[in-house]
Amino acid sequence: MTRTQPVLRLENIHKRFGDAEVLKGVSLELFKGDIKVILGPSGSGKSTLLHCINFLVSFEQGRVFLREQAINPANKPELYAYRQKIGMIFQDFNLFDHLTALENVQIGLVRVKKIPKLQARERALAELARVGLAEHVSKYPAELSGGQKQRVSIARALAMDPEVMLLDEPTSALDPELIGEVHAVIRDLAAGGMTMALVTHEIGFAGTLASEILFMESGVILEQGPPDRILNHAQQERTREFCSKIARLHKRSGETA
Amino acid sequence: MDLSFYTQEVAPAMLRGLWVSIGLILPSAVFGLAIGVLAGTLRVYGRPFWKRLSEMYGLLFRGFPLLVQLYLWYFGLPQLGIYLSPFAASVLGFSLCSGAYHAEYVRGALRSIKQGQLQAARSLGFSRARAIYSILLPQAIRRALPGCGNELIYLIKYSSLAYMVTCIELTGEAKILASMFFKYLEVFFVVGAIYLALVSLASWGLNRLERYVSIPGFECVRR
Repeated sequence: MTRTQPVLRLENIHKRFGDAEVLKGVSLELFKGDIKVILGPSGSGKSTLLHCINFLVSFEQGRVFLREQAINPANKPELYAYRQKIGMIFQDFNLFDHLTALENVQIGLVRVKKIPKLQARERALAELARVGLAEHVSKYPAELSGGQKQRVSIARALAMDPEVMLLDEPTSALDPELIGEVHAVIRDLAAGGMTMALVTHEIGFAGTLASEILFMESGVILEQGPPDRILNHAQQERTREFCSKIARLHKRSGETA
Repeated sequence: MDLSFYTQEVAPAMLRGLWVSIGLILPSAVFGLAIGVLAGTLRVYGRPFWKRLSEMYGLLFRGFPLLVQLYLWYFGLPQLGIYLSPFAASVLGFSLCSGAYHAEYVRGALRSIKQGQLQAARSLGFSRARAIYSILLPQAIRRALPGCGNELIYLIKYSSLAYMVTCIELTGEAKILASMFFKYLEVFFVVGAIYLALVSLASWGLNRLERYVSIPGFECVRR
């Protein structure tokens, strides 16, 4: 695998919401197959960072590069083409409520990629089968469990053939019993070599999956490194404090990654 | 009681009026809905200029009494050199008025849909306009249907105002007939019953429609 050029690179992103500066110059590089897990307390800017990557949130300063091509969000066709290459998974799934699982996956192919409907349907069925939902393709979101909804949303993103997946707390809204099925799908993606940026509080899962962990606080990446170093031998006091607090919490609730 | 009065006089006049009324109601319903969906969408997702414009539209057309609006279209416009037929003035008045009310229902329905779906659509590469059109509106219209249906039923009845601008529809025919034979009680009772029948038919149709477009998560209450 060539590691000469990153798939995705962020350069010095600054973002404010009114008076609050949420991102104070964040830079990030994702190489092919990288899985970067972003940890950090609420309000540290993790989620905003992911939203900045595909310009769902606009920012004042900084640039985003896909394969070293700077993305210009003012150029709409270029932006829409770029967004297709960046799959995004949201905390609360954001499925289209009036469409079946199949139609949810299919609609982007038909309306955005302009793929013929029959072909789009084949692809959508394949993606749903890949996340283990072959039997639920004709159900509406209201008829699916949280874990199933999140798997539909992953299938929907995968159908667009993304080069990078952004996962924003994909299991935070799920019952503990349903977390496992979503984790399994994410592991499959990792095994398939998908490049990912994942925001999560499940540090057990993060530790076994991540190629690198980034600890964010107050809009900056405070510390980054291999999972073992960040989780067990962090340099910064704040990182150690955060990780041990979360680890204790998960031990008490008997978390299994 | 003289049955021949009903068969010879009432029935033909009512039938004539009924066709005119239906001719007023159907296009007004279609244009009104189209205007309402557009204005409601612009009100929520339009750029500031369009948002302001649709706000003004709603204020004006819900603020002026409908009869005053009709007078303006039919008796007022000729002063500016624009002459509308009674029928055209009525359809214009009804469409613009009912559109203003539909817009409120559509606006409320759009607001009730979580923003996350718009974000998800954009993250797939949808433009904002396309996401609104193909993701948000199909849901909003389902949710607005009970309110919009109510407005359609109301339209059936306020179409009777057309006769005030000399478009002789059901109520207009009745007025002429009743004063000719001085049989107000009989004639207006029949007219009332015809409106009731139209409204019942519309409610039945709207219920069927609601049921037809109903999907899990957007159910209408079934009995």
